[in-house]
Amino acid sequence: MNEHSLLPRLRDQLHSGRMDRREFIRFATLLGVAAGTAYAMAGMSAPAMASSTLPFPAAEPGAKRGGKLRVGEMVARMEDPATYNWNEMANQTRPILEYLTLVGPDNVVRPMLIESWKPSADLKTWTLQVRSGVMWHNGEELTAEHVAWNIRRWSDPALGSSNLGLSTFAALTEYTGDRDSKGRAVRRPLKNGVEVQDSRTVRLNLAKPVLSVAEDCGEFCTLVVHPSFKPPLSHNPIGTGPYTLVELRVGDRCILKRITKTTDGRDFHYWGGDVFLDEIHFHHYEQENQTAALASGSVDAIYELPVEQIELARSIPGAQILSVETAQTLCCRMQVDVKPFNDIRVRRAVVKAADNGAIKKLVFGEHGSVAANFHVAPIHPEYFPLPLQVRDVAGARQLLKEAGYENGIDLNIVVGNNDGPWQQAACEALRDQVKEAGINLAVTVVPATKFWEIWTKVPFGATSWAHRPLGTMALSQAYRTGASWNESHFSDPEFDKALSEAEATIDVPTRKARMQKVETILRDAAVVIQPMWRPVFILASARVHGYKAHPARQMQLTKVWMS
Amino acid sequence: MGNLIVRRVTQMLLIMLTVSLLLFAIFDSDQFREKAAVAELGGFGVATLSADDYHEWLEKKGLNEPFLARYGRWLESVLHGDMGQSIEKDIAVSVLLKESLTNTGILAFFVFWIMIPVSLTLGVLAGMNTGSPLDRVISIVAVLTTSIPQIATAVLLTVILALGLGWVPTKSAMADGWSFRGLVLPLLTLLLYDIGYLVRMTRAAMTEVMASQYIRTAVLKGLPYRRVILRHALRNALIVPVTLIFLELNGLLSQVVVVEVFFQYAGFGRMLFDAANFGDLQVLQAATLVAVCVAVGSQLLSDAAYVFLNPRVRFT
Repeated sequence: MNEHSLLPRLRDQLHSGRMDRREFIRFATLLGVAAGTAYAMAGMSAPAMASSTLPFPAAEPGAKRGGKLRVGEMVARMEDPATYNWNEMANQTRPILEYLTLVGPDNVVRPMLIESWKPSADLKTWTLQVRSGVMWHNGEELTAEHVAWNIRRWSDPALGSSNLGLSTFAALTEYTGDRDSKGRAVRRPLKNGVEVQDSRTVRLNLAKPVLSVAEDCGEFCTLVVHPSFKPPLSHNPIGTGPYTLVELRVGDRCILKRITKTTDGRDFHYWGGDVFLDEIHFHHYEQENQTAALASGSVDAIYELPVEQIELARSIPGAQILSVETAQTLCCRMQVDVKPFNDIRVRRAVVKAADNGAIKKLVFGEHGSVAANFHVAPIHPEYFPLPLQVRDVAGARQLLKEAGYENGIDLNIVVGNNDGPWQQAACEALRDQVKEAGINLAVTVVPATKFWEIWTKVPFGATSWAHRPLGTMALSQAYRTGASWNESHFSDPEFDKALSEAEATIDVPTRKARMQKVETILRDAAVVIQPMWRPVFILASARVHGYKAHPARQMQLTKVWMS
Repeated sequence: MGNLIVRRVTQMLLIMLTVSLLLFAIFDSDQFREKAAVAELGGFGVATLSADDYHEWLEKKGLNEPFLARYGRWLESVLHGDMGQSIEKDIAVSVLLKESLTNTGILAFFVFWIMIPVSLTLGVLAGMNTGSPLDRVISIVAVLTTSIPQIATAVLLTVILALGLGWVPTKSAMADGWSFRGLVLPLLTLLLYDIGYLVRMTRAAMTEVMASQYIRTAVLKGLPYRRVILRHALRNALIVPVTLIFLELNGLLSQVVVVEVFFQYAGFGRMLFDAANFGDLQVLQAATLVAVCVAVGSQLLSDAAYVFLNPRVRFT
């Protein structure tokens, strides 16, 4: 295999101790080294995998075939995987459709429907090798054409897919120079962005260097559909996974069954090795009801265990509580061009009056970790630790006085609880803290669905941001000038430049050093109060094996079995 | 009587027309369109779309049509018996409505089947002997059950019967098919409140009747006590409770929203709740028509019962 030109340098860094092993594995796999090989290069034993070419863990000895798994989650619609907006939709789909790459519960990305990926030295050209022997449910074999068709679809601005917020697919578009009726710049797909080289090879010619192609291909909206696809998926689901949809009743149930015959009557062969469960049933339970449903034995596993129900979960005999650290977070962000937040002294005062550590402790107790207002998490490989800011109420008062608010200021933060009531609890804690500095913060709670209508419009809002495997990913979506999800309207050419430099740097110590500038600019601009990185908990009965908590809350059920 | 029916039905049709027009008008706003877009594409997806592509999307979903044209088309298809398609659940509204009404119907049947005999008996017993220990016990229990909000009763019953004793499932989703055990918690929650309420009303009516002069006369005439109660007192004492029972038909439709949502019972209340949350217009419209129908229908029934029980009353 041809090694990537940067690989020897990575290895040097590993041996000279400038890079730790975890980082080495992450970056080596990014450069196209199979995860198993990367673990070996780092002198670590890889987590047992079925084989170095499969993205799944090896079957446990004694794994039992058969049975059905009953999962409690909100049963959602299955329209178009590219425009999914709930994790639940993807959970129901993941056993049917599959990704090009799979981000494992260990946050390491492995090839799935592609066998390997290889970037050029400048990270602008990526070659994807399509896996051979992958069969669609209609009996056809997966080809490079199919993969290219999907990638082109994801990068089409007219589709309305959130995939366009991922660097890879954004880099497959260009600005036309026109503006739409609302004054926003119009994008169109790059002409020669996705190139089919032969029946097994796809080449991406990106408009700018992107580090996260492999990660982006495993994000939750990038499930690969057959080119004959017409939404809704639930009417004619053709995938490559081991299960097919038998029944979908939104808000009630979703029943998946092992697929044995293709639609043209041949035996179906699954490329990914052994699969154990005969059926997977998703039963509709609202988020707050799932633990109770498991307690009375109505389901075997649930999508998510809310932190406030941990005590209840502990009281269920034999139940397994599993958790994982993530880069999921809450951003209480202020719009820098709206009064009174256009005065940086006001923003700094709010930040100074807040005590992130206390909020985290109040909401998640000993779980999760404290965040420091620059939206890069300690689990990100390029995280540069900046010293924690200390709470300074007197300083905050002083800043407010200078800004002309010596009698205090009335502010209002809007929160949607999209990720659970803990968001509201965090905002209320913030309210109580900033009161001491003379800031009267009102917390406005709006229904979750309502929040997504206004999230980019409110001057002060608390938005939940999902896990992203690399730190630069969220920064470039949320804080770069003019980015479509830039909800704070933050705009600083110096920040943009520093971020672009960091994004184009593969060398980790250099990259980390560059992140110092990026993080410092963002933190000192006092755009967000970001109290914590939240943990994720899941719950399963003692009979369920192989169900793991995932940092992006992806339910990966292909290798789960029941005893 | 015939006159009354004609009048009530005309009233019903007019209300239906007004309410449906109002609902359409409320949902014909940019805000609602954006809500529908967010529900389908997600907040992040909608933020990614350019204004022109957003417009195109609306066009594709038929959300951009002029208001009256949409309303006219909807009205026409409803008159043809087609209530449209649920956007959220992707099935015909008529199917959804039928299933949810059946489920709520089952629940309502058991509620009435237990509530009527139990509360009338208890209410009459208490009212017969006002001030007796039996009356005190019945009254206190009734006040207690009606003073706890249903949502609290629901939590309490779940903790005791499902999590504590493990007799019934915590939720009534009935994933493995219909089961009476699954129905117990929503049923008890509704019953506790409704029985308490009806007992208090029956007791009050009975007390009033027992204090009236014709009962005293009947007793003094030396009629057997049994006969005084059954022949003379009951008929008059039941006027109020019977009217209430019919109105309860209508009241139940709003009570089931809380109970069905909490216990995840797939009935009319939950359907209404989901549809309102999602902005599923056609489902909401159909549900409203049903609600108006039940409201006016129960009014009509209660009028009829009133005439039957109280010969002095005539609706002309």
